[in-house]
Amino acid sequence: MLINKPFFQFGLVVLTVLALPFFLRSGIMASEILIYGMVVAASNLLLGYTGLLSFGQGIFFGTGSYLAGIVLTRTGVPVGLMLPMAAVLGTVIATLVGGLSIRRQGVYFVMLTLAFSQLFYFLAYTFSDLTGGDNGLLDVPRPMLNGEQLVDPWSYYAYVGVCFVLVFAAMLLVTQSTFGRTLIAVRENEERAAAIGFPVRVFKIAAFAISGAVTAFAGALHAMLIGVAPLSSIEYHTSEIILVMTIIGGSSSLYASVLGASFYLLMADTLSSIWPRWLLLLGLVLVVVALFLQKGLWGLVEKIYALLTHNRIPPEVEPSDLGTDTTAKGE
Amino acid sequence: MTQTASTTDALVTKGLGVSYNKFVALADVDLNIRENSVHSIIGPNGAGKTTLFHALTGRVRPSSGKITLGGRDITNLSDNERVRRGIARSFQVTSLFPDLSVHENLRLAAQGRTPWQALAMWRRAESNHEAMATVDEMLARLSLTRVATRAAGELAHGQQRRLEVGMAMAARPRVILMDEPTSGMGIDDIETMKDLIQGLASDHTVLFIEHNMGIVMNISDTVTVLRLGRKLVEGPPAMVRDDPEVKKAYLGNMITGDIA
Repeated sequence: MLINKPFFQFGLVVLTVLALPFFLRSGIMASEILIYGMVVAASNLLLGYTGLLSFGQGIFFGTGSYLAGIVLTRTGVPVGLMLPMAAVLGTVIATLVGGLSIRRQGVYFVMLTLAFSQLFYFLAYTFSDLTGGDNGLLDVPRPMLNGEQLVDPWSYYAYVGVCFVLVFAAMLLVTQSTFGRTLIAVRENEERAAAIGFPVRVFKIAAFAISGAVTAFAGALHAMLIGVAPLSSIEYHTSEIILVMTIIGGSSSLYASVLGASFYLLMADTLSSIWPRWLLLLGLVLVVVALFLQKGLWGLVEKIYALLTHNRIPPEVEPSDLGTDTTAKGE
Repeated sequence: MTQTASTTDALVTKGLGVSYNKFVALADVDLNIRENSVHSIIGPNGAGKTTLFHALTGRVRPSSGKITLGGRDITNLSDNERVRRGIARSFQVTSLFPDLSVHENLRLAAQGRTPWQALAMWRRAESNHEAMATVDEMLARLSLTRVATRAAGELAHGQQRRLEVGMAMAARPRVILMDEPTSGMGIDDIETMKDLIQGLASDHTVLFIEHNMGIVMNISDTVTVLRLGRKLVEGPPAMVRDDPEVKKAYLGNMITGDIA
């Protein structure tokens, strides 16, 4: 399908960055959408491409957030160096968490990621000298550009937008590569993937590593956005939100994640000002998606696109139609 | 039968045994699979055929004995490491990547021979020209070129079974292990499969488990009969068919099947 082709997806990403300022009044909100877009795409790489449901994404997000807080408030390291550091630390921790979790499969794998999520939360809570405990780390500065700090939300939005486009392009490249195609094979049939020679564990760990790098990178951007590295960013609840966004968006393409993140954040923003119990409505949305829209919002977009182009998904082919492969019969 | 099966052994087991706790599934099995021969394993249910198969593919660790491939010990290698050494397998219950195209199924199988290369996150899958050439060759050989872009799960059963074997061939292995290649096939498809397996012996060594005695007696160079986890008889099809011990082992499940 055209809309799932990489160049089209990249076009959508660029368009999103350019269009958001026209539709949103808050630069903070727009930046948050882009940041979570990256985070959710990284979660999608695990769930949609590799078939791994990770409850540990908050660990990586919090890691990036704390790294930004610690490095920017206590050392003179510039943002341009701090961001790659966040990605590297995210890779290391994700390799560790992923490497241990994938030793088990199915439910036990999910439980392990959940357990790690709790573990890291309490680590952050306990080592308050480093993390600020309950208060988090305050006064995280925004990056400097041409000697001026990006205080205005929209100028920081531009900064995040550039990062977003670059990260997304890299992730599109990864999903198109031999590596990405092997991940899909692992998701489709793990036993066969191993039988044709792929060390499946190594591929899963590598997927975790990339996911961790991107998530921590985005976590660092987030800390600079809100000026705080809060304890809540490493909470289990963050992992949960990321997964909910991933599932609402759908997992058949990377841009689906941007859609999921935008939908969740915009809905939370609109509804919470109208009704304090808005999470109830979110629950309803999740029920609807789980029951009727298993391919998420992007699945809906795919359907509409197919209708518009009359390019309907081809009907099931009768096996007898295919069985008449006369050339197959031995002479 | 293959005309010129050589005298060197491709795959050898010595005193191979597998036990699950106290249950001995396989004991003391010595096998010498000659290079470029077609070797079949038969035996009544519970004879240990599948266990032997798993031990050879690396899915089950042997509790005793040794397996060597071309003289090199592979007893302690994992299944995916054995693929790199030249052992490929097909499954009894068709195990493909159902949502991926036939072409992509074969490309993955061809890439599996050099799996570390596939970790390259910047390289396009299509840039592996060797794998792409293998895919085209396999498609032609399996008569699947016409359906190359179809999802594997949409194919007819016979085509899926051929692709199943093709997945093993695409790794260009020295030894191909097949678990009941004709399982669930119709008569026409069985003939095609028979020709396919016979043709494999020119490039590969073939070892397969099979219940269809017609095929076993027709195309095997050597037949090994297992019973209760041990080797009962081994030899050319004609000899095995007339062996009184074998007839007794099958107890009424008469071995029919003509020898061509």
